[in-house]
Amino acid sequence: MSFTSLTFLAFLAGLIVLYYILPRKCQWALLLAASCAFYLCGGAKTIGYLAFTALTTYTAGRRLGVLNTRWKALDAQEKKTRKRAHDRRRKGVVWLVCLLNFGVLFALKYWAFLAEALLRRTGLHIFAPELLMPVGVSFYTFQSIGYVVDCYRGKVQPQKNFAKYALFVSFFPQIVQGPIGRYDALAPQLLAEHELDWENIRGGLQLALWGYFKKLLLAERTAALVNTVFASPETYGGAVLVLGVFGYCVQLYCDFSGGIDISRGTAQMLGITMAENFQRPIFARSLTEYWRRWHISLGSWMRDYVFYPLALSRPFRALGSFARKHFRGMLSKIFATSMATFVVYFIIGVWHGANFRYLAFGLYNGVLITAALLLEPLFVRVREKLPLCWDGWLWRGVQMLRTGAIVFIGRYITRAPRLTTALSMLRRSVTDFSLSQLRGGALFSLGMTKADWLVVLAGLFVLLAVEMYQERGGGARALLARQKPAVQGFVTLAWLAALLLGALGGYTGAGFIYAQY
Amino acid sequence: MKAKSWVVMCLLLALALVLAVAALNFFVDPFGVFGQNVWYSYAETLNPRVGKTAYLMEHADEYDSYLVGCSSTSSYPVEELNEYLDAKFYNTIVYGADMQDTRLTVEWLLKNCTVKNIVLNVYIDNGLTWATGEDSLSYKLHEAVSGAGKVGFYGGYLLASPQYALDKIKAQQDDLVLPQSYNVFDEQTGAYDKRARDVENIGSLERYYESYPVFTNYPQGPSQLGYTDACMQDVAAIAALCRDAGVQLYVVCAPVYRDYFEGYSAEAITDFYTKLAAVTDYWDFSYSSVSCDARYFYDATHFRNDVGRMALARMFGDDSVYIPDDLGVYVTRENAEAHAQTLCAHEAAADTAAYTKDLPVLMYHDLLAEDDGTGAMTAEIFDEQMQALQSAGYTTVSLDEVYDYVYHGAELPEKPILITFDDGYRSNYELAYPILQKYGMKAAMFVIGVSVGKDTYKDTGVSITPHFSYEQAREMIASGLITIGSHTYDLHQSPQLDDAPVRETAGILPGESQADYAVVFSDDLAQSMQTIFAETGQPVTALAYPEGVYTTLSQVLCREAGLLATFSSDAHSNTLVRGLAQCLYAMGRYSVTPCSGAELIALLDGAE
Repeated sequence: MSFTSLTFLAFLAGLIVLYYILPRKCQWALLLAASCAFYLCGGAKTIGYLAFTALTTYTAGRRLGVLNTRWKALDAQEKKTRKRAHDRRRKGVVWLVCLLNFGVLFALKYWAFLAEALLRRTGLHIFAPELLMPVGVSFYTFQSIGYVVDCYRGKVQPQKNFAKYALFVSFFPQIVQGPIGRYDALAPQLLAEHELDWENIRGGLQLALWGYFKKLLLAERTAALVNTVFASPETYGGAVLVLGVFGYCVQLYCDFSGGIDISRGTAQMLGITMAENFQRPIFARSLTEYWRRWHISLGSWMRDYVFYPLALSRPFRALGSFARKHFRGMLSKIFATSMATFVVYFIIGVWHGANFRYLAFGLYNGVLITAALLLEPLFVRVREKLPLCWDGWLWRGVQMLRTGAIVFIGRYITRAPRLTTALSMLRRSVTDFSLSQLRGGALFSLGMTKADWLVVLAGLFVLLAVEMYQERGGGARALLARQKPAVQGFVTLAWLAALLLGALGGYTGAGFIYAQY
Repeated sequence: MKAKSWVVMCLLLALALVLAVAALNFFVDPFGVFGQNVWYSYAETLNPRVGKTAYLMEHADEYDSYLVGCSSTSSYPVEELNEYLDAKFYNTIVYGADMQDTRLTVEWLLKNCTVKNIVLNVYIDNGLTWATGEDSLSYKLHEAVSGAGKVGFYGGYLLASPQYALDKIKAQQDDLVLPQSYNVFDEQTGAYDKRARDVENIGSLERYYESYPVFTNYPQGPSQLGYTDACMQDVAAIAALCRDAGVQLYVVCAPVYRDYFEGYSAEAITDFYTKLAAVTDYWDFSYSSVSCDARYFYDATHFRNDVGRMALARMFGDDSVYIPDDLGVYVTRENAEAHAQTLCAHEAAADTAAYTKDLPVLMYHDLLAEDDGTGAMTAEIFDEQMQALQSAGYTTVSLDEVYDYVYHGAELPEKPILITFDDGYRSNYELAYPILQKYGMKAAMFVIGVSVGKDTYKDTGVSITPHFSYEQAREMIASGLITIGSHTYDLHQSPQLDDAPVRETAGILPGESQADYAVVFSDDLAQSMQTIFAETGQPVTALAYPEGVYTTLSQVLCREAGLLATFSSDAHSNTLVRGLAQCLYAMGRYSVTPCSGAELIALLDGAE
């Protein structure tokens, strides 16, 4: 069920009414039933995967809970003698559940890719069934594994009621594309009883409408441009390619963050606050900051469940000692963490999909961030020596542009059909760039009509204005609430009319770009 | 404003907006599903699947037979089918139809309409896609055909983008006669309205390639057909449905352009055509010499109506129509394997000499008895030129001989040439005709209705060059050498002697609407044709445009009026193509100057 379908709107309206009419103790059960219905509508055939993940992680959590309880019952002496066995058991549970679930994820994403590569290279046929990709498989896998690790760490109490746990795994607003929730933050809210709060309804509705604005008006239109340019990039000049990639940046951000706004808005109307996933990445001043503002829940998941365990693991600690002994300066201090960073970005690349270009994308980011870390002392020295205003608007602007350019180049890699195509597109964007390529009606032969261009330009202007206001600490929704009723009415009418025009008709309900990741 | 008030306001505004859009879509009804503001051609262009079903729901009683299939189905003219089968055909063609769409359409027709005959067109692409499940407003089937829910179906069209309704309102303001991008279907026949494409002047292949470069650089298509089995299951189902309902079914495989056909592997072709034979007998026109000549195609995937005409003539044994020998094979289980092998051998070739002919046309006006020193054409020069033509091996042909070549495949002499005279001057009768008689040469003379037999301009009394009379015309016709054609009735007016708006040519006036122009042109043409026929007893089959000025619309109107040829003053020779009527429209003519016979021959030889 797509968030942009009428069915979803009807489903949501019905759910909200029931949610606040039924006795409050039934609310969580209603959410679970609604989540199951939502998932069945989108991928009935693949619900087994979701059930598998829920069951294995639930069982693991329970097992870890039992182990931890037993451990607590032991006296100090016993703890001393049994510590290794206890740790081994707990780690065994985590490893097993990780292997099972990441194994499934890996098989879904990579089995066909590997089978084809093997066939091409060696002529060897291996069993490669056509697997249907379950909706949101990565998101619920990450979320559930996070829960198991939290149980392992004793950070959360394992959930004993499977149905309640299943709601945490399958909660419908986040199942399609995140954000990846944490058990300690999300589960208590899901299970709590919520009174009807009109502030929440208004806030959630406005957030969702803002998400629809980004998705329907901006992402949908630029998608047509992007698909046209990337369908046959070899036929276009550099300026068109640059425009196509720019369109892709707009499409990706508006589609993904718009979808997240709809998710968060929906949850807010149910009285549930979900983690933020985007913080206006366009204003990032470095690549590291960009990734802290983009897909935040994935970044923080990677930090907590991959980076730290990795950096603190025995091999990396050994690597750190080795570096301190053999290297000098900054390198000796940050070598191990840089390597861990590098590995994290590599994993993100692998996670995006079975293609060399995603690996290249991971490497691209990993290399740049690692390099930036290594070169940081040099920059510090330069900044000290040059008497410039290093915190002025000009330098901030330069930093944003620089970051934007780096991200922009990265987008060639993720969107082009092949890595070689991406490289050739990049080359021609520089060597074959001429603004004349956009003249003479060329602009309107790229999948977007004149009206589409006007809508996109106006939409981008509004988006930028709102985000600048937010970046300065303002709240757009609060600003609206302070206006006179007539102004609020007019803004709402214009907003709804724009959405309606963007949503109706030719729109065929394409899924979110991130839905299958 | 309190949160609750805002939420209520927001929901009410949203509801009001949705209702407004629904009302707009209901009353303007761009897709033609609500029976409001009916304009089926427009609705069918937006979505032929829905528009045509909606049309037939209202008009099924006007038909008893149906053509079904994808877009190439449009090229079998229903007029011919009606004649051959004494039926009333409607063409249900929809673009991009796969065999599942077609089966569902046949099921609906059999259930809801009186059906005598079904002509099922199978295109090789039917093996390429199947059951695409396209559900957009422009592609979905009508709920009556697909069986989808009414609420979702009508709700979808109520909430269609208002842009559709606004576009329709705008299009309704247009005052146009020819099909535009928004009304490509002929409402009555259901076929694409190809009037404009059917009068474009087609001559040499080179000129055609220049206009349609796709033919020379045909994009590489697929080589395998993934859905042949599914397609044939549906063909079998259609055959069974027709058998059970006692409906006569004709299965026809559409002609395919060579470069596209040859892209498919031999395996895919064999599989497709033998499996089709396993479920039904069929006429196969897929691959022949016609496939090898781009002029027989509108674009790379659609053959011309004229080819459809040939195919139907082959099926129904009409000997009067020109049909290339290798066009059309009746395929049964018995000969299917052998036929598939023939197809895969790719042996068809276009022997252009066998079906094309170069025809230069000369254009004369007035002749002088004696040289008056102005450098005008004299009888003496004309005589010399005719003699030179004869000596150089040219044979003059009549318009009828030209028609016979194009329509019926009759032969033409080795070096044919057509001589024409414009305006109908008396000198044509007094000076040219005797010379033509002397050499036994033929010619066509195009007269201006208002000037026939006159030596003054209309009722002004102003002297003009004298024109021959109908009596003289009758005498010339009786000789068997001269054909009389139209030079319009009164669309060659004089700026000095006529009141505004003056029509010096048959072109459209600045600012004139297509609809107004069409009335003026058609009325004039009808008057011209009726007068000449009434006076001479010879039907008018050709028109020469005053000053060579013509428009696509004037061409269409000429064809609709029953003219078989029109002449421009564009200085080029003509390539006649057998079976392709439009090679006779806007034919080029050389305006002959008072040059010597040798110079004329040099001009013609140079042009060749």
